[in-house]
Amino acid sequence: MNRTIAWTLAALAAVLGLAGCGKPAPKVLHVYTWADYIKPELVQRFEKENGCTIVIDTFDSNEAMYAKLKAGASGYDVMTPSSYYVAIMSGQGMLLDLDHAKLPNLVNVDTAYLRIALDPTMKHSVPYMLTNTGIAYLKSKVKDPRPTWAMLDRKDLKGRVTMLNDMRETIGAALKFLGYSLNTLDDRQLEQARDVVIRWKANLAKFESEQYKNGLASGEFLLAHGYSGDILQAQKENPDIAFLAPQEGLSISCDDLVILKGSKVVDLAHRFINFLHDPEVAAENSLAISYLCPNSAAYPKLPADFRDNPAVKLDPAVQAKCEVITDLGKDNAKYTRIWDQIKAAP
Amino acid sequence: MKRSLTPVLVTVGVLAFFYLPVVVLVLNSFNASRFGGEWTGFTFDWYRRLWQAREIWAALGNTLAIAAFATVASTVLGTTAALALDRFRSRLQDAHYLLVYAPLVVPEILMGMSLLLFFVALHLQLGYLTIVLSHVTFCVSYVTMVVLGRLQDFDWDLVEAAQDLGADAWTSARRVVLPLLAPGIAAGALLAFTLSVDDFVITFFVAGPGTTTLPLRIYSMIKHGSPPLINALSTLLLALTVITVWLSQRLLEEKE
Repeated sequence: MNRTIAWTLAALAAVLGLAGCGKPAPKVLHVYTWADYIKPELVQRFEKENGCTIVIDTFDSNEAMYAKLKAGASGYDVMTPSSYYVAIMSGQGMLLDLDHAKLPNLVNVDTAYLRIALDPTMKHSVPYMLTNTGIAYLKSKVKDPRPTWAMLDRKDLKGRVTMLNDMRETIGAALKFLGYSLNTLDDRQLEQARDVVIRWKANLAKFESEQYKNGLASGEFLLAHGYSGDILQAQKENPDIAFLAPQEGLSISCDDLVILKGSKVVDLAHRFINFLHDPEVAAENSLAISYLCPNSAAYPKLPADFRDNPAVKLDPAVQAKCEVITDLGKDNAKYTRIWDQIKAAP
Repeated sequence: MKRSLTPVLVTVGVLAFFYLPVVVLVLNSFNASRFGGEWTGFTFDWYRRLWQAREIWAALGNTLAIAAFATVASTVLGTTAALALDRFRSRLQDAHYLLVYAPLVVPEILMGMSLLLFFVALHLQLGYLTIVLSHVTFCVSYVTMVVLGRLQDFDWDLVEAAQDLGADAWTSARRVVLPLLAPGIAAGALLAFTLSVDDFVITFFVAGPGTTTLPLRIYSMIKHGSPPLINALSTLLLALTVITVWLSQRLLEEKE
């Protein structure tokens, strides 16, 4: 009976072209990433230069991807989780230590970003693409814009303002406004931030994480707290939209290149990461997917209007005050409690 | 007698509820705005870009191949299961029915996770094979239910009559049972195909490197990428479905 089942499985596998021990196939690099996160022409170029095939699979949330890998799914080589998940995954021993001798292009990685990165020595992750939050506004409707979170207090915009419906981002903006860390665990600071957000709330149309792009593009909202990547897309549609990077500092997030333990093509995986940090490649890729690859040597190769847009690249003085949102584990409850109080406030 | 307007209004309301979202999607696939909030001009641009998106076509290919295998396997298994459940009684009859019903009611996320853990424990490489096996697992139940329904008013006297007239078991199965059950089997197969093409949750867990299916791809594109391409793709799939249904209706009419 068992033999029958085994034969059936083997036959099915053969039919599906999966018979494990066949003739040696060309090398395959499995990349597990977000959709549309690398310029297709660059993938083809790497395949040609290295005589390999790249197979890209996509995930839609860090949480689901992590759950799947944790349960034992394997076969992926290079991945691009967000920084705070890289921290969790390396803590679980899921990531390979990177061999810097095979990554000469790491000298190009922006050291100003590395100072605030969660893995500043690039032990097991190399920053791939950066985004940050900030404030978008309509140039024709908002008079006297200033790069500060105090814009959210402007009474003349009452009812036409949105903030992200995300507890860490929105409480984080208030903490930054007050000059605190957005990862603080200090109860007094959190309570002060709560009072600030409640004050802002009186000015808001709503807390909104998705539709604010449409609202800005159509002119329904005049000012919106949002993600630079989203705002950049909205700008392409409505050139009246401009971006402010509050000088008090803001949240920055990064997806990092990592190699999973168990990868069978470790060399090729290193070569791929190195390739993505080639200045030419990094610039071309950034421009194509509209995120910033933190690669200092690539910056001069970007067109000026792209590079000088604060929704793409922050002023170094502001960037120095930025922080990456970290996973707080069980202390997340502190933020949840404050957020509930904000939501319940009139 | 004055006819009431209510049935008309309800019909229109229900039709609008069902089909208005589809209309919006089709219109937005021609909308130059990537957000779809506002009409900013007519364009074929999304279709042009869809044509060049090789990963989407690869995902579609994966999905159709997996659905084809899963449909064939689950139709054969489901039909034979239904025949056995209908024809033979055993003391474990209730338990057998329970086993068939279970995949219909078990939450998908639970099934996906347990299948993944199972495959990992077996050291089975995640890929096409694991996806097909998982899809068969839940499709079998649907096929069985549909075929069982068809068997409820099946007249076994016909089979006996055929055997009286000299048909052996194989001939009577092929010439009598199968033709009579064909509509049920076809309905079950179509259901299995649709469910397989559709499935996200279970597929997400059991998919391996290189086997991203269309639903997995679409979810990722909604979170991170360009939804208008999805609108264009959905419109094409919709057109394909409508043409297929229309053609099959035409063919059936000609037969009669």
